[in-house]
Amino acid sequence: MSSEIFTQLVDAHYTPLFRFALSLTKNPSDAGDLTQQTFFIWAKQGHALREEGKAKSWLFTTLYREFLRIRRRGERMTALEDLGPVESDPPAPEVDMVTGMDAGLVVEALQEVDEVYRVPLTLFYMQDLSYKEIAEMIEAPIGTVMSRLSRGKAQLRTALARKESGSRGKVVPFQTNPARKHS
Amino acid sequence: MNNAEAKFILQGYRPNGADAGDATFCAAVEQAKNDPALGEWFAKQQAFDAAVSAKLGQVAAPADLRAAILAGGRVTAAGTSSRGWWNQPVWMAAAAGVAVALGVGVALWPKQAAAFSDFALADAKLSAIHGGHGHENNELQAVLNDPAMRLGQKLPISFANLHETGCRTIGFKGHDVLELCFKRNGVWFHAYIARAADFPRVAASSTPQLTDRGSISLASWTDAEHVIVVVSKTGRKNLEALL
Repeated sequence: MSSEIFTQLVDAHYTPLFRFALSLTKNPSDAGDLTQQTFFIWAKQGHALREEGKAKSWLFTTLYREFLRIRRRGERMTALEDLGPVESDPPAPEVDMVTGMDAGLVVEALQEVDEVYRVPLTLFYMQDLSYKEIAEMIEAPIGTVMSRLSRGKAQLRTALARKESGSRGKVVPFQTNPARKHS
Repeated sequence: MNNAEAKFILQGYRPNGADAGDATFCAAVEQAKNDPALGEWFAKQQAFDAAVSAKLGQVAAPADLRAAILAGGRVTAAGTSSRGWWNQPVWMAAAAGVAVALGVGVALWPKQAAAFSDFALADAKLSAIHGGHGHENNELQAVLNDPAMRLGQKLPISFANLHETGCRTIGFKGHDVLELCFKRNGVWFHAYIARAADFPRVAASSTPQLTDRGSISLASWTDAEHVIVVVSKTGRKNLEALL
């Protein structure tokens, strides 16, 4: 693989991959490492991929699998499938709640969504992959992806509302006596 | 399709319109156009999704990440080929040749162990091109580097930790094998560590078994959880000095 192709690939995908990694790891440093590792795997074996158009899916899938490998967990993913039915008639979310929030708070709210829903939800919001590609990536049926999106959005709305009320409710102590000594 | 079903489908519709041509959404989108209540819900959902996407799009990657990936990618690409070298015909043939020429290996070290030793032997032969230094801060690397420490016993191996701290990982027969290089008295050695559970047919042997393969010597032993092979390219004497 030529250096130019690798550079083009990095330029096209490293930022969305980092965002996805951040939603998984909840830590910028780990997200950076995970993103790097994904490209190193590509450098090692990805050029064997025949269809260049599939590079994006390959990178996201590899990052996700690498995350799972590092985390070495597995039982929670399926257990959460039994949490109950999807909202049959979800309410329309309040867009103003999001537009008025800091991006960091929105990301924090997204990170509070259970991982099993957060993975497809983050990919959905990044808008890079279709629900079919997400289904292939997480090796789940399309209907499962849809239901995870639905449940994930419900959790996200709750988390956003909590963040919003938390930021509204924050009270800065009023210092009546500046000379007061700290214990 | 009732409105609840339509909502279930429509909440998977990306706000950038990328799914406009997808047949899965056509009927639900059409229904939203004809049903004011559903249409209002869909418009709000799309606005909400677009707002979240926009916020997510504001997250920037660290400034130095791109440069680190490009530099690391060049090194990785230069040091590897599209197939693991041990899977390449020439090396498989070479490994087979070594096995034929040198017999079946140590009697107490059954077939699977011999295969593992062959693998370690062949990999160590290529050490000049792959490095394989473990993280300097890990406990195992410190033990291996310590000239006073005798090997051939239980080592402080945290497989998962080593996996993630820069130790070289090689795939062999579908399992991960860790490699660490270490130096004693100016001589380099290569330690290969696998999970015992991944090679269940390797007989447990807490006493190191020494094998000579031409000028290369190997010491192999197990603890409760791991199979360990240390390779010396400078002969048995240097290897014995470690044990």
